[in-house]
Amino acid sequence: MSGEIKRRMKHITPNSLAAETPTRAPTRRALAKQATRLKVLTAARHLFSEQGYEGATIRDIAAAAGMSTGAVFANFTDKSDLFREIMCDDMAALAAAMEDAARRGHGVEDGLLKIFTAGYSFYQSRMQLARAAFSVSWDAEGGPTLRGMPYSNAIQEVFAQQLSTAVDKGELSQQAEIKLRSQMLFDTYLSNYPHAIFDGWSLDALQSRAREQIRILLAGARRG
Amino acid sequence: MKTDVGLLPNAPPARAAQKAATRQRVIVAARSLFDTRGYQGTTIRDIARDAGVSVGTVFTTFASKSEILSEVMEARTAPLYAELDRIMPHLRGPTVDRLRTLFAVHIQFETQTARLFLAHIAAAYDWTVTSAARPFGRNLRLKAGIADCLEKGIEAGDIRDDIPLGNVVDLIMAAYAWTFRLAVNENADAGTMIAVMDRQIGLIVAGLSARI
Repeated sequence: MSGEIKRRMKHITPNSLAAETPTRAPTRRALAKQATRLKVLTAARHLFSEQGYEGATIRDIAAAAGMSTGAVFANFTDKSDLFREIMCDDMAALAAAMEDAARRGHGVEDGLLKIFTAGYSFYQSRMQLARAAFSVSWDAEGGPTLRGMPYSNAIQEVFAQQLSTAVDKGELSQQAEIKLRSQMLFDTYLSNYPHAIFDGWSLDALQSRAREQIRILLAGARRG
Repeated sequence: MKTDVGLLPNAPPARAAQKAATRQRVIVAARSLFDTRGYQGTTIRDIARDAGVSVGTVFTTFASKSEILSEVMEARTAPLYAELDRIMPHLRGPTVDRLRTLFAVHIQFETQTARLFLAHIAAAYDWTVTSAARPFGRNLRLKAGIADCLEKGIEAGDIRDDIPLGNVVDLIMAAYAWTFRLAVNENADAGTMIAVMDRQIGLIVAGLSARI
């Protein structure tokens, strides 16, 4: 995927992107369908943020989008389908933001901190949606819905890539256990969200905590 | 009004006993529902039905679903913490080993009802969580246990004395919570999870070691 496309994905959904770049001009009907989907997604995003995943019903979402529940179901199989679509759009944009951040890092510690920060900034304006996502991801039924989403792996890969580069450059030892360490960095990145969601931590507070955590998680793999 | 009598502290013993019995029924029903259906899949209505009481009765005893779960976890983990209180003071050896023992005991215990534990974690993000609820992350006993292990390590000299203690405790808690992903994703058993947790503790403690 080109960098240009990824940048654009921050603002538009993969679906609207697909509709904008076909080889032939889309039919009026396809465009109308696209507009309907976007309207539902916007309403759903808002309601999930206000009432959580459990609290938001398809009926509320339909009402907020100004359409019938039938019209919603014509576009999405169920609530989890709708939620997955929203998360998928966000994660695509998030993965792109993190890759950009990683490229701006000077050394492994700074690179990782920039990746963490890119994530926290991304969700800063949508913390309640992050909260809904966490609650779904820990649910025995909901968890599998979010897992295995293509972009979830892409995000973890950003962490692993930083470590591999550091090993190549000799910043970290050859025995850096990249798989385990990048998994733990990712988990640590996620584990700070409750502070932002419930305790109102600022971006600065999250960053200084993350800096300490990254140092500890890297210390055992430092060379020399 | 006779019905108000039960709310008074000097309620007749029979009424107090009945209240305790109802509470117990709700906890038993809730525990089984949370462990089979998870947090989101369980409603107060389900709990009331299985306990054989009205929804109103559940609400006179508990303020929210998350509070019921907290009570379930508290009742369930009482023997765990009694055992740990007995074991932990006698543990010797390096900090990394003491932490590993602390978590092996926890994992062995919590994987008996892994879905209940996941519900406990999910509850931390619930919209209707009330202040009396103690979802995962507000489990002060485990946090205190980890802090205690680390402080002993600092005293003994195998852990640096300038570590950000609270942050390290959270780091270990995060590793622990995420280890339970294996229980859902891969149906991992306690042995597998303990092995993974051992590696994570090893990695974190290597970053705190007084020798580097």
